[in-house]
Amino acid sequence: MWKKKEVIPDYITQNVSEDLIKLVDMVKIYDTGSIKVLGLKRVNLTIKRGEFVAIMGQSGSGKSTLMNILGCLDRPTMGHYFLDGIDTADLPSDDLSAIRNRKIGFVFQSFNLISRTSALKNVELPMTYAHISKKAREKRALELLERVGLGTRYEHMPNELSGGQRQRVAIARALANEPPLILADEPTGNLDSASSVEIMELFSKLHNEGATVVLVTHEEDIAAFTNRIIRFRDGNLVSDTPNIPISKREKEELEEPEEPEEPEYQSGDALC
Amino acid sequence: MLFENMTMAVHAIKANKMRSLLTMLGIIIGIGSVIAIVSIGDTMRFMISDIYKDVGTTLAYVYIWPSDGSDMRQSDYFSVDDVDRIREVYKDEITYIDSSSQQNVEAVFGRNKVKFALEGIGSNYPNVHKINIIYGRNLNEGDIKGRKNHVVLEAEGAKELFGTENAVGKSFRTTIYGDTDDYDVVGVYRKEENPFLAMVGGSGENKEGYLPESILVWPNDTIYNIRLYAKEGTDMSSFSERFSQYIAKSKNRKREDVTFYSVSSEMGSVDQIMGGLSAAVGGIAAISLLVGGIGIMNIMLVSVTERTREIGIRKALGAKTWDVMVQFLTESAILSAMGGIIGVITGAGLVFLGGTLLGMTVVIKPMVIIIAVGFSALVGVFFGIYPASKAAGKDPIEALRYE
Repeated sequence: MWKKKEVIPDYITQNVSEDLIKLVDMVKIYDTGSIKVLGLKRVNLTIKRGEFVAIMGQSGSGKSTLMNILGCLDRPTMGHYFLDGIDTADLPSDDLSAIRNRKIGFVFQSFNLISRTSALKNVELPMTYAHISKKAREKRALELLERVGLGTRYEHMPNELSGGQRQRVAIARALANEPPLILADEPTGNLDSASSVEIMELFSKLHNEGATVVLVTHEEDIAAFTNRIIRFRDGNLVSDTPNIPISKREKEELEEPEEPEEPEYQSGDALC
Repeated sequence: MLFENMTMAVHAIKANKMRSLLTMLGIIIGIGSVIAIVSIGDTMRFMISDIYKDVGTTLAYVYIWPSDGSDMRQSDYFSVDDVDRIREVYKDEITYIDSSSQQNVEAVFGRNKVKFALEGIGSNYPNVHKINIIYGRNLNEGDIKGRKNHVVLEAEGAKELFGTENAVGKSFRTTIYGDTDDYDVVGVYRKEENPFLAMVGGSGENKEGYLPESILVWPNDTIYNIRLYAKEGTDMSSFSERFSQYIAKSKNRKREDVTFYSVSSEMGSVDQIMGGLSAAVGGIAAISLLVGGIGIMNIMLVSVTERTREIGIRKALGAKTWDVMVQFLTESAILSAMGGIIGVITGAGLVFLGGTLLGMTVVIKPMVIIIAVGFSALVGVFFGIYPASKAAGKDPIEALRYE
């Protein structure tokens, strides 16, 4: 009786653009009443489908602001943000909710799983808001948990899982509605180094399978897994450079016998 | 989606069992007292109408009572001829009429002495008032016309006097109007004990019985009060008016001097009392539901604040304003409805317990239960609107940052 008919504009459900993310002269100003704080200054940026990008910067550099805008949690003050061809600047908040639901998979630093709710139910959540039938939701959630290596732990509550396992549940949840964009905000910030490598390997795997992954981090080690590193300082985009991912580098290093040094991460051991 | 919301709500309520129970308390007390009082009222109504069903709803007593407080005149009393005349004039509308006579006597059989209240009746009295004969027969026209010393006794009295319920054919000695004579028992009846009457002490010390009216009322006697049964289905208020006017005219009195006391007017006053009681109870219920509802609103506000982060997560994952709103409305409605259900169980349980202890048949209408639970859910929705809209209006960035 309280069901409201779901009306999703066509532009949200259709893929229209090869440029998944396009920022055009985007400015974000925080108006705190007495003073105005410039969060981001005229950012122009394009990320194509299938890229694996790290956004780096110290705290206060504007990377969190950018993250909120890329995640459609916030709107630019000036300029435009096109996500999959959709200009998000003037959309009402319920349309932004629908966009977040269909287009973006979030992975947070503090996992942000819903407590006292099983891993399975957590993964089902975005599908619930997409009004997918219970049966289909459960099936897909199980598949996703299987994919992130938690196939047998679907009934566990978040507090019964380790940090790395929680983050994998969160990644499974991010993949639930097959969004074109995976947005990860310091995904390894609360993890030990072994778990961090596991999670980054998982992101690399997703990227190799065709997903677009954008992650925000301040750790060089983490950014090293990506193909492209964008650096911010004081609200300005200061550098945008391609990167050879660490896993490829490892392979190349292994092919050269005169380099006996240990690789930086014991990735093989960590993934068990 | 509604089902998901309901499971989620039950989940959230279970997570804080004690808190939820305390929150429900106002609703439990409100709904519980309403159910209890309404059921007591319905039980009373049922019993009273049951009594009147036995007595007959068209029963009326008619007498002259000067409205100005002056003394009664000799002509205000009725004679046997008057009664016969009324019977003749109103033969299409009155099925039974008598002089409403009764004598308290002491019946003697051997060494046994038992007090009886003997009611004088006409021959077709059993047609308008059920007498449950278990031995022998009712008084008949022959007994009345022949002014025979025949009686019908209640089984308990018969047993006390004769040592056996089947006293048909036995006789006892008693004195009526100074004449001592023997009276023969022609029938024994079982009095149906009405628990409500027994409770209010309606049946006196005396055993009951019937004897021919003609023994108690002689042709020259004066009758203060006539008893009549109108035809089944008569509109008593219009009949009362016409009949009173007729009596007033024949007795040379004003209409106001005639009292027409009927069971249906009595029933009306009972309904009036019950109506007043219901209004009082409704007031109490409204206040406790208001207090209970505010309690629910309070705890929902706490819950919304506690779960700010959860709300942020849900919104980030695609929950719309309406989704969050419905989630919290469902929770407060279920919380309140659960209070309503517990209240119904408590209230009905108490009434059942009381009824069992007093040996009464308890009436609890299913409709009352449905309305009570439905109404408590509505209270939950109403008082959930403010907290739910607070939850729904949260900014996802702020909510995600909440510790």
